[in-house]
Amino acid sequence: MENQERFSPEESLSIIRNMIDKTKDTVADDSFYFLLWGWLVFGCCVSTFVMKVWLQFPYHYYVWFLMPVGGIVSWIYGSRQAKKQRIKSYVEESLDSLWIGVGFAFFALVLINMISGETWQKAFTYYILLYAIGTSVTGRILRFKPLLYGGLINFILAVVSIKYSYDYQLLIGALAILISYIIPGHLLRIRYHQKRKSHA
Amino acid sequence: MFKELDPILHSQLRLAVMSLLIGIKEAEFTFIREKTNATAGNLSVQVQKLKDAGYIEVIKQFKENYPQTICKITPRGLEAFDEYVKALQQYLQAGKE
Repeated sequence: MENQERFSPEESLSIIRNMIDKTKDTVADDSFYFLLWGWLVFGCCVSTFVMKVWLQFPYHYYVWFLMPVGGIVSWIYGSRQAKKQRIKSYVEESLDSLWIGVGFAFFALVLINMISGETWQKAFTYYILLYAIGTSVTGRILRFKPLLYGGLINFILAVVSIKYSYDYQLLIGALAILISYIIPGHLLRIRYHQKRKSHA
Repeated sequence: MFKELDPILHSQLRLAVMSLLIGIKEAEFTFIREKTNATAGNLSVQVQKLKDAGYIEVIKQFKENYPQTICKITPRGLEAFDEYVKALQQYLQAGKE
């Protein structure tokens, strides 16, 4: 772009529009986190249910030790992405702040459940509430309806889940994750690839 | 009475840089160069002019042992851009009448 000083207001407007368009859709592929955590938690919920209720395996809860593995994978992926990233948008920054907050809330809840020794029986009500907050706010920020609606349905599932025992809360938790992480995560990945194609 | 167009912003490359930075928090110099198709030398000069006017902040740091230059718009730059767009609107409106 040459640095000519004489140009019309129409040309100025066209430069502004053109440049804003170039940064408008530079949102990173956030679907990775939804798919990683979605399939991980879904798998853990279903396998805990099968081991606890059907096989009556006493160490059914061991599968949850996979959660720190998810944390390490997320951290490695996040730091690799940060190295590649050449711009930082306000959207990305808001999402990072939101999910760091949600992550701390999950961690605090796990500690509360471990210390109290009783609250874990209703733990999924609160986990689903956190899925609801995280995904519905992300859906609103990204203007992505499947995430927003998935999150909103989770608010209802959280209320419904309080009436059920831990065993069935596992299945409600799996359903919540399917609706708010897995399905929107796959749709988000499709949207990301479509946008990349159209910008190429 | 028409508002005068800010001479700092009324330059194709400087306006392009400001327009790129307006919707994001910060961008690397290489990203701006790629999107504006400007040469590194010309872009450096224009970025320096925007910095001297207090419209952008330029941060020089190291990333993976390589020098990295990051640009971000300042509140003063945001205000100037807003004024520039308002003045443009006046000109365009006058053109229609």
